[in-house]
Amino acid sequence: MNWVLRLYPAGWRERYGEEFAAVLARQRASPGLILDVLSGAIDAHLHPQFQYSESKQIIGDDTVTLEMLQRCAAGGPRLSQSDRRIASIFMILSALVMATLYIALTKVYREAPAVKAVGYASFPFLGLVYEQTAYLRKRPWLTQAFILGGGLLALYGLMLAVCVVGSKL
Amino acid sequence: MIRKGKDDAELADFGRFSEPALLILVSLAEGPRHGYSMTEDIEAIAGVRLGPGTLYGALARLEARGLIDPLKSEDRRNPYRLTALGERALRARLDSMMSVARTGQRRLASA
Repeated sequence: MNWVLRLYPAGWRERYGEEFAAVLARQRASPGLILDVLSGAIDAHLHPQFQYSESKQIIGDDTVTLEMLQRCAAGGPRLSQSDRRIASIFMILSALVMATLYIALTKVYREAPAVKAVGYASFPFLGLVYEQTAYLRKRPWLTQAFILGGGLLALYGLMLAVCVVGSKL
Repeated sequence: MIRKGKDDAELADFGRFSEPALLILVSLAEGPRHGYSMTEDIEAIAGVRLGPGTLYGALARLEARGLIDPLKSEDRRNPYRLTALGERALRARLDSMMSVARTGQRRLASA
């Protein structure tokens, strides 16, 4: 009956698959057992946050980090529908706020370089808004401050460097 | 409504997994056990046989909350042990259950 394991998410199988199969092998097949296993699979898909706990003895920190990097490289960390929805709403609202600000500043200050800078700076800003609401929302505030602060410094520092180099050419 | 302390609240939002989680903690209170041994023990003490879907749904939640820890094992049956936090949560839960049971018994006796 090990085929039912395929119904569980890959991360779950990697973590619990073997021991789950060992327990399953010693149970008598019945409709109740199948129902239990199926509802367990649905739960594992609905609540992935419970499957990737820091298993200190079994999975070392390096393995967890590698797995996270692999997942990021393969299409980004796993985000729930609600995470995506919240992040998208925040990004749209931020885009509207930045666009309104840019239009208002253009009306007052016309073609001032600072106004253009606000326009350019809004693109990385929106990326950071998405990053915060999608990936960092549930992290400690210190982690958020470090990553967002670092992100802001890196992005705006790069933009400033490009402007400085561009103005000298 | 049972008043819940901080430790007791650890099990409060487990939904349908609260009872299996409590039974697992009771089973591990005696010492580390692997999955199948837990199902056998739980059946002996509570008369309930947990299916593997329910067992691992509860184990994953307990592990994610730091109430149990997996131990290294040579074969594919990983044993789990109760953590200090898990022990406190179990004590708090059992205390509140005993308080409810005592109140119920007293009221039945006086009825």
